[in-house]
Amino acid sequence: MNLALFVIVPLACVFLIVLLARRFKALSDILANTAALFLLLLACFSLKQVAAQGVLTYNISGWAPPIGIALVMDGLSAFMLLTVNLVAFLAMIYAISYMRRYTEKWKFHALFLMMLTGMNGVILSGDLFNLYIFIEVASISGYALVAFGTQAEDLEAAFKYAIMGALASIFVLLGIALLYSHTSTLNMADIALSLAAKPRGILINFISVLFLAGFGLKAAIVPFHAWLPDAHSSAPSPVSAVLSGVFIKTLGVYALARVFFNIIGISAQLFYVLMILGILSMAIGAFLAVAQNDIKRMFAYSSISQVGYIIFALGIASPLAIFGALLHLFNHAVLKSLLFLNAGTIEYATDTRSLKGLGGLNDKLPVASVSSLVASMSISGIPPLGGFWSKLIIIIAAVQAGYFNFALVAVLVSVVTLVYYLKFYNTVFLGSLNAAIAEVKAVPFTMKFSLVALAIISLIAGGVLLPGLRIYLQAAANVLMR
Amino acid sequence: MFKLDALNSFIAGAIGLFFILAISYSLKFMKGRKHLVLYYFYIVLSALASLGVVLTNNLVVLLVCWGFLGLLLYLLINMGDSDAPQAAKKSLVIVGGTDALMIFGIGIIYYFTQTMQLDKIRLELNQEPLILAYFCIASACFAKAGAMPYHSWVPDCAKSAPIPVTAFLPSALDKLLGIYLLSRLSLNLFVMSKAVAMVLMIIGAITIIAAVMMALVQQNLKKLLGYSTVSQVGYMVLGIGTGNPIGIAGGLFHMLNHTVYKSCLFFSAGNVEYRTKTAELDQLGGLSSLMPFTFFSFLVASLSISGIPPFNGFVSKWLIYQGLIQNLQFADYSMKIISIFCLIAAMFGSALTLATFMKTLHAVFLGQRLNTLKSKEIKEVSFTMLAPCLVLAVICIIFGIFAFVLPLKYFIFPVLSVYAQLNAASLPGHWSPVLATILILIGLLTGALLFRSGKVKSNIREDSTFSGGELEEQGQEAMVTGTDFYNTVQEMPFLKKVYQKAQAGTFDLYEQSRKIFKISKVLQFLHNGVLPTYLVWILLGMMGLFLILIG
Repeated sequence: MNLALFVIVPLACVFLIVLLARRFKALSDILANTAALFLLLLACFSLKQVAAQGVLTYNISGWAPPIGIALVMDGLSAFMLLTVNLVAFLAMIYAISYMRRYTEKWKFHALFLMMLTGMNGVILSGDLFNLYIFIEVASISGYALVAFGTQAEDLEAAFKYAIMGALASIFVLLGIALLYSHTSTLNMADIALSLAAKPRGILINFISVLFLAGFGLKAAIVPFHAWLPDAHSSAPSPVSAVLSGVFIKTLGVYALARVFFNIIGISAQLFYVLMILGILSMAIGAFLAVAQNDIKRMFAYSSISQVGYIIFALGIASPLAIFGALLHLFNHAVLKSLLFLNAGTIEYATDTRSLKGLGGLNDKLPVASVSSLVASMSISGIPPLGGFWSKLIIIIAAVQAGYFNFALVAVLVSVVTLVYYLKFYNTVFLGSLNAAIAEVKAVPFTMKFSLVALAIISLIAGGVLLPGLRIYLQAAANVLMR
Repeated sequence: MFKLDALNSFIAGAIGLFFILAISYSLKFMKGRKHLVLYYFYIVLSALASLGVVLTNNLVVLLVCWGFLGLLLYLLINMGDSDAPQAAKKSLVIVGGTDALMIFGIGIIYYFTQTMQLDKIRLELNQEPLILAYFCIASACFAKAGAMPYHSWVPDCAKSAPIPVTAFLPSALDKLLGIYLLSRLSLNLFVMSKAVAMVLMIIGAITIIAAVMMALVQQNLKKLLGYSTVSQVGYMVLGIGTGNPIGIAGGLFHMLNHTVYKSCLFFSAGNVEYRTKTAELDQLGGLSSLMPFTFFSFLVASLSISGIPPFNGFVSKWLIYQGLIQNLQFADYSMKIISIFCLIAAMFGSALTLATFMKTLHAVFLGQRLNTLKSKEIKEVSFTMLAPCLVLAVICIIFGIFAFVLPLKYFIFPVLSVYAQLNAASLPGHWSPVLATILILIGLLTGALLFRSGKVKSNIREDSTFSGGELEEQGQEAMVTGTDFYNTVQEMPFLKKVYQKAQAGTFDLYEQSRKIFKISKVLQFLHNGVLPTYLVWILLGMMGLFLILIG
């Protein structure tokens, strides 16, 4: 299978859309959605193929590394590709009706597919420099998409995001440069081999800090998180869904895990640092989320908190914990995108997303209500929904590794999570209809479709633990445990 | 994965019984409300999840079913009145929050035993993490059952949720499950230490007294029942906390009895509310003649909850007292003192319960009838609603009179057969319910005969009310409702302050924990939206990382 399709298809669509969409209005919708669906199917297919054949590589133009550029797909990449393209596809479907709020929809499609190109590239890239290139491709389209509404606050958010994102890119690039000077190669596998032969000096620790800060900024780990609430709440909802659902996990968590676990190796000290950062993120994110009155800001802070769980679990680094981390990554991708799409639906129907102006929408927006309930309960870890299982595994893994105190913090933060999600659900959907709501617009079918699809996935996400499906997740976790 | 033993089989049976009663009651009571299909769906799921909790032999399955019940409770409470969302949120935060603690507790158990099979776990409470694990899981039990300090959702839920929901979940199923898990925990999973036992006993005793004091002054029938539910949980925790077979038998039997009489009380209260459309005590009164069967079941259940012989509540309380007295044999003084304290608290609590229900009976069923209650609408409810009340009232009587022959022999004593062969003769105190019942009946008959014979009545002169020689209008002002019976209690110097604090939510864990969210304000202050500030954080963060990893 040609791995380059994951990058070429969306990129080609971007060109076609930019060239033709001004003339043929319907083209961008059709092209973008077809491309997204194709990528999703391709991701499903590749997941199966990786499970059967192990690692797949593709040398672009037939040039073998170290001269040429290699795309590599192992269990982890396949799992990430599926997650990313699943969320991207459903967000795209949602956007068909939702993005009518904005002018120049084709620009959105072009940028969105560009972002997807970048994310797929990050996941597949087999050498560090291309990792960086694709991070930039994704980030820059991300900055533009955050500013898509062109209101004052959108632009401000995008500006902050761009500054901090650029800072992150510089850190990452500096790290890569130092690593290159140390090992004389950029290919990930070669670097790992080369480093294994050398003594672990202070330079590696220095590089570790650069990568930690760089990818930490992308993943919004406290204290590198401050751009996220503005950016994710200002972007159009389908974009927020992708940004919060998969973007920070691909550019941040995935890249971090890949670099630390597979390339430069990780010391006991660094594991501990990851755990501390994870704990800080989950606690601070959760406490900030409680205080929010803007739905999307609340979800954005919640993303910081939930990514904290993933980072924390990666820091524990036992097989069970890594399994839990990846399961939580998947769950959170589905749940957070569902929640952001719900926020979009609420905003679409009532023109507000402030908790103070909402209330009693249960009967008016039944689909949004049920899917919000499912997502809220799942992310708060109420059994038997998907989120419960990953939280259970992470907490048990933490206790197993002997980190009782950290496990207790993780438990208490999950109570806080429950508190703010109940605040969200109760305020928006229960009680009597808020007098400030003038009218509740009907929600178009495509938006409902995405909500229902994501809700069903999150309902049955616990099923990933069944033996037949567990192998895929286990294959992904094995990559990090080598 | 599933395992049947003496403890869970009778609880599973009880769950089945309450499920049937709740469905029967709901048929009429919930008629015409919105989302009925969902309502019955949730009720069925609740029953199934409860069976899962009780019958499973795997901690993870137990955890899943247990947590799912919290969600179902939330959804079911939401079908109540306009305050319901608040009450539902509070319930789910408390119940779901303690579920999270339970995950932690189970994690620790797994750390020590490497198994999730309930029957393979047997741990000594000799290490700090294990004690932590015990109390984490016990917290979940307390929250589910409604013991202090996790009680505060119960009264709110009782007030706002639809009555069949209250009767089915908080007062029946959640009690069964909470106490079931607590006894599993204390009997099977852990070997109770004396210190833990004492903590349980103190929690039980405080719950009994504090909650019944709150029940005493409530003005809303449903809320009053809610508080008295909490108080009764104290007896169960106290019974299990005694740590000896008699006390534990008492605790378990009290659990069973409580579910019977408290559901009966809620169903009866539901009948009253269904007809009168109110649950405020000062708007009720004199319903005994209009709703005689409801009155009968409420009366029986009231006497039972107050521990009046020969009803079932008495037998279980009596067993708990016996358990406490057994503990006096211990050599160390702390146990002796605590047992005596708990014994006093339990007996005093029982008296206060009686006082509470005297007030309630008077306010709802006796006394004069308000004008508002004179419409033709107010009559006995239909059979499907009445049947659950009557069935439960009859069970109250049977479980009381034939305590040793039926429930204790078949349900409770087999559970403890590993520890001691208990039967009526092996108890230190003697109680023969059948004989006592006969004596009580003879006493009552004699009294009735004397009363009938007219000799007592002749001393009473009936007259109209007058003041200063003028006849008073027989108006509503002259009416004495039960509502104000114990207002003096609220005015007592020390208690006044306590009640005020209780009103303000000082003793409510839920209200108190909100204070922790002041941290949010500090954090928000730090997130001022200024780019340079954020950049400074990044710088500081990196400096910190450099220091840790390189310095």
